[in-house]
Amino acid sequence: MGLFAPWFLAALAGLGLPVYLHLLKRQTSKPKQVSSLMLYESRTQASTRHRSLRYFLLLSLRLLMLLLLIVAFANPFVNRNAASFASNRLVLLVIDNSFSMRAGTRLNDAKEAAMGVLAGKGAAHGQVAAFGSQLQFMTQAIEDQAALRAAVQAVQPGDGHGNFGEMARAVRAMAAALHTPVELHLFSDMQRSALAGSFADMTLPSNVKLVTHPVVTKAQPNWTVESVDVPGQVWGKDAKPVHARAVIAGFGTPAAQRTVSLAVNGKTAAVKTVAVPASGRASVDFPALEVPYGFNRCEVKIDSADAFAADDVRRFAVERSDPQKALLIHNYGDSRSPLYIGAALSAAAQSAFVLESIDVNEAADRQPSNYAFIVLSDLNTVPQLLENSLTGYVRSGGNLFIAGGTSAGARLQIPIFGARISETRDYSRVPDRFMSVGSSDSSFPAVAKAEGWPGVKFFYALNVDPGDARVIVRLSDQTPLLLEKRIGEGRVLLFTSGLDNLTNDFPLNPAFVPFIEQTARYLAGSERQGGARTVDAYLELRNAREQGQGVEVTGPDGKRPLTLGEAATAQSLQLTEAGYYQLRLANGRQNLVGVNADPKESNLDVIPDDVMALWTGKGGSGSQEASGGGVATPQKTPETLWWYVMLLVFAAAAAESVLASRYLGTQREE
Amino acid sequence: MDQRFLKPSVLAAISGLELIAKTVVDGFVVGMHRSPDFGFSQEFAEYQAYTPGDDLRHVDWNVYARTERMYLKRYRGETNSPLTILLDASNSMQFGSHGVNKMDYARYLSASLFYLALHGQRDAAGLITFDDEIRDYIRPSTRQGQLHRLLAGLEHAEARARTDFAKPARYFQEFLKRRGIVLIVSDFWESPESVVKTLEPLRINGNEVVLFHVLDPEDVRPALNGPSILVDMETQEQLETTPDFTRKEYRERVDAHIADLRDRTRGAGMGYSLLMTDRPLDDALREYLTLRGGRN
Repeated sequence: MGLFAPWFLAALAGLGLPVYLHLLKRQTSKPKQVSSLMLYESRTQASTRHRSLRYFLLLSLRLLMLLLLIVAFANPFVNRNAASFASNRLVLLVIDNSFSMRAGTRLNDAKEAAMGVLAGKGAAHGQVAAFGSQLQFMTQAIEDQAALRAAVQAVQPGDGHGNFGEMARAVRAMAAALHTPVELHLFSDMQRSALAGSFADMTLPSNVKLVTHPVVTKAQPNWTVESVDVPGQVWGKDAKPVHARAVIAGFGTPAAQRTVSLAVNGKTAAVKTVAVPASGRASVDFPALEVPYGFNRCEVKIDSADAFAADDVRRFAVERSDPQKALLIHNYGDSRSPLYIGAALSAAAQSAFVLESIDVNEAADRQPSNYAFIVLSDLNTVPQLLENSLTGYVRSGGNLFIAGGTSAGARLQIPIFGARISETRDYSRVPDRFMSVGSSDSSFPAVAKAEGWPGVKFFYALNVDPGDARVIVRLSDQTPLLLEKRIGEGRVLLFTSGLDNLTNDFPLNPAFVPFIEQTARYLAGSERQGGARTVDAYLELRNAREQGQGVEVTGPDGKRPLTLGEAATAQSLQLTEAGYYQLRLANGRQNLVGVNADPKESNLDVIPDDVMALWTGKGGSGSQEASGGGVATPQKTPETLWWYVMLLVFAAAAAESVLASRYLGTQREE
Repeated sequence: MDQRFLKPSVLAAISGLELIAKTVVDGFVVGMHRSPDFGFSQEFAEYQAYTPGDDLRHVDWNVYARTERMYLKRYRGETNSPLTILLDASNSMQFGSHGVNKMDYARYLSASLFYLALHGQRDAAGLITFDDEIRDYIRPSTRQGQLHRLLAGLEHAEARARTDFAKPARYFQEFLKRRGIVLIVSDFWESPESVVKTLEPLRINGNEVVLFHVLDPEDVRPALNGPSILVDMETQEQLETTPDFTRKEYRERVDAHIADLRDRTRGAGMGYSLLMTDRPLDDALREYLTLRGGRN
């Protein structure tokens, strides 16, 4: 027996209070008038009696009540044999079904071990849960052995990445609501990569006893296709061949030759052999990946010949489609802007856009809605008819990229964008003769890829009043350089310097091509983040403007993972299985995504013994239970007694109330 | 009339002694079985020889014409039983543990008796208020307005000083020259021997003397929460006692005191009636009428 909070015993000093009240506080009474004292006699009580324990029983009860209250706060407990209160405990069986459990017979071994524990759990309640990236309860806390066995058998292999921190969090939440001892049996391959980032995240509450049942005791060698780097889209029939690079990794493996094959839509397109160093990585290049029009299911495979075959393939999807048209409107006689922008767009790997350059005088007969986006480059005049046409184009969902230059500096206001030009900045007159980028918003894709445009010199810029526009890049003197503004359904990007090499040297800088490429993709709304994802990642289904429009998702197993309600409202989809997901998004676009298990699952290294001992709370190597299962070794478990003490407090309080009312109330005639 | 109007707690809510008296007496008479002795009859009762000082209006002149002797004609309803109430107005009479203290109770009682005597029996009625001396005296009479005088006397009877029967008793003789009914209303916190010895001479003159012993319930059964300091309302003396004493010994003493007073009083040929202030007034009224009937 012990106390969880013995410092509360200091409150025992408070027991002196009732003693003081009873012993030392003199009884004072108001004199009472009577008709005559003729028949009365003086019966003064002795002084010592006055001060004695007037109501000894009452005092005893008050002292007892205070004492019990203090003891209740000190939270007493008794150590009880766990087996002695078996009926009160909960045996929680957690079976790891993360991707690595597909290796060999790991999952079946885990289930067999769980069956063994179930057979010996006695009258205790049992509960079964599967544990991948999240803890999924398969049953309630029940005693029915048959139902529990069925739940164990129903655990299916998953593709998620195990995380012991997430499991501990879920168990902590469950144990906080239970108040009963929990015996947590974990059946897992105890992957080192499943450890949480912080060990504190894996701590379990005091009423949870962790019993581990490792299905493997040492690391097993494993080769895997760790990653494939390939663009998700190619454009046009004359596009350059797609270059794909795969990384083959070995974990605990000797140096070996591995055969790597690339398959497109089920047909092997290329086979290569690569020498993978011991426990190392090797890259394999496939320089000419030819894919037909439409979505293509591609995969890279290795002949790993190890026990974990599920991770020997990595899936990805590539789409081939026609390039989109873009329109560049420039001043008459301006040949630099079309040159640099056109070169940048064509230099971009996938040639997703075909640029049509016209001068401002030819723009009147163009239909803006035929273009994915339009660029206005340093226009000193914009005909009213064109301005109205472009404004309507933007309001109805079109996107515009406006570049300012020396010609545009003569205007008072940026057309369509609406920002007032407060002044022009000619940096050729400042001591350094140029201005660099000061700050940039790295969340903007066009800027993020260019890493802040280091080394780009700006000689001239328009200083505009941003108003309600988002400033993405500022020069060192805080002059806004790149701004974005939403107008109606569309958006306008404003670049306050020129797209030629007169007002800056940006077109000559390596950052220019990715900037133009990403800006074009951003404005055209065709940002496709590759055709591969990782299990448990989220896929955006719709943006804020696309509420109420249904999406359609078909999973790897050919089923639809979303209900009708979810299909109409869900913002995103969690990819829970490995394979190909077919999607029709809210904006009407089709997509195909190859989903692969987390590469960390391929590292089959197990948690070191010392870490396991630390986690299970036991020193020494005997911390792990035999994987064959069985009842956990009986252990002394502290059981708190505060509830019983509080019941005694209430009983003492009731008795005190009765006695106090009897003693202190008016004495009546019998 | 409902008997509850005889309850002191109900009477306390009525303002005005006359109304109280009327309420009590009417309630009492209506509720009582009528007796031939207690009426308002003008039936001839007797002839009484004239003595100087008698009212000449009552002389039967026909008899004088025949016999040349003067006789007074007496009727049944005019039997000479003047009622005199000796009201103790000492401080102890102010004690009360509920809505009606002993002084109030004594006032209600006296007022009711006066009303009954003057209006019911056509007896003369008078009042002597005393504590340790005579405070007020209203001569017994049947004159118009006598009731109002008596009630005013009761109203003005303020409880003060302490009871001392010996001191005023010698004056009682002077005021009670005519035979009649003498009712002493007091809590009698004095030794029974002294009380009887002091009041006994009133009986010798042929008066019917009755002691109305008015006590509060707490006079008999005091309630104490614990050891308490008690203050005598008359002497202001203090005394500390315990609930144990009041629960046993004091009660025995009070019972003995009451029994002693009753026995000694009756032994001396006087009447005794114990009246608790939480009890109705009819016992006292009945006692009076019994005496009145006995004298017819």
